[in-house]
Amino acid sequence: MSAAGKGDLTEPRQQKSTEPSEAEAIERAKLGDAEAFQALYDKHKRRVYSLCLRMTANTAEAEDLTQEAFLQLYRKIGTFRGESAFSTWLHRLSVNVVLMHLRKKSLPVVSLEETTQGTEEDSPRKDFGADDVALAGSIDRLQLQRAVDSLPPGYRMIFVLHDVEGYEHNEIAKIAGCSIGNSKSQLHKARMKLRDLLKINRAEKAGKSRAG
Amino acid sequence: MNCVELQDSLAEVEDGSTIEQRAHLMDCPACTVLVKELDLIIEAAGRLQEANEPSPRVWNSIAISLREEGLIRPQRRGDQRAVSSFSARWGAARWLVPAAAMLLLALGIYVRQQSAVKQMAQQTPVIAPLIKASELNDDDLLQEVADNSPAMRVQYEDNLRRVNQSIRDAQDFVDDSPNDQDARRSLMDAYHQKSMLFEMAMDRSLP
Repeated sequence: MSAAGKGDLTEPRQQKSTEPSEAEAIERAKLGDAEAFQALYDKHKRRVYSLCLRMTANTAEAEDLTQEAFLQLYRKIGTFRGESAFSTWLHRLSVNVVLMHLRKKSLPVVSLEETTQGTEEDSPRKDFGADDVALAGSIDRLQLQRAVDSLPPGYRMIFVLHDVEGYEHNEIAKIAGCSIGNSKSQLHKARMKLRDLLKINRAEKAGKSRAG
Repeated sequence: MNCVELQDSLAEVEDGSTIEQRAHLMDCPACTVLVKELDLIIEAAGRLQEANEPSPRVWNSIAISLREEGLIRPQRRGDQRAVSSFSARWGAARWLVPAAAMLLLALGIYVRQQSAVKQMAQQTPVIAPLIKASELNDDDLLQEVADNSPAMRVQYEDNLRRVNQSIRDAQDFVDDSPNDQDARRSLMDAYHQKSMLFEMAMDRSLP
């Protein structure tokens, strides 16, 4: 399912009758209306910020990138013709802002095979230990978030784009400049690594509660 | 297919639905658990969307940048829904200073046509209350600028100081030489500059 198709990308917020509709806000923002700029920001800030935070795992960077994404949006809003959903347009723009940032930092956005494999430490294990802690039931959101934050940047980006944001592999390949196979491989390794991290986390918790 | 091969194949077919994968999963509880756990991770990932909110700093920085880049244009609409506290407090007086400037312009034209010193003296009391009225608002204006655009406060303070000094100097010249048209023009220009400063500040105080 593509990013645009994975549910409503805007906040499911009840609009007050006095608030401008999104289409109205866009048209007014094109005319430089400060109120319209803020209305668009209020509507999409969580979505954009969450994306930036997932991809960078750093709140300060995520805030800076959110700011940059919205500034770019406002600079370019005059070119928005409505061919795609506004939220999709903004989302792609935000992803590009984050990718540019990661490239500037020389982080492996989607690195070549030898680097995407990660270090020995980063790579997911291939054995299935008999005393593995099972990930039974649902996975706690906070635990998963912590695990995602500790993924290597390359793994994290593909995982966030695909499993969190709903991008397809061909879309990821296009925006990240890699092959579809590479994207699939990265995603699988990211999930395996997450599984390991979550299990380690559960094992540590279980150990602590036994000791306590 | 062994366990390692199954694990590798999950990159391509993640739900384990190929014939080879199903055959292996039938006989391998460990790999069955693996597939289930990966499904749990995929399911939980969807809940990570939109979980966080940026701090107010982000919008403040955006708003300042928008104004500095001139992307926000002054709105002349009657819509006052989201005007700032400044506009709420000073809404009625919003046009006082520009109106005073216009009045001064009209006054200047009138005075220019009347060369008699006596007539000039009669008009002077009209000017004086306007000066006081506008100067009284300076602190409030600066406070409002500080609240909405802290980075701009120093600049506004400096500009206000300079324009007030210009008004005082020009007023002194008019008092000394009531018939001097250049002095009166300077006074009008100084008031006009102050009214522009207020207008700019009002626009900046908009959200």
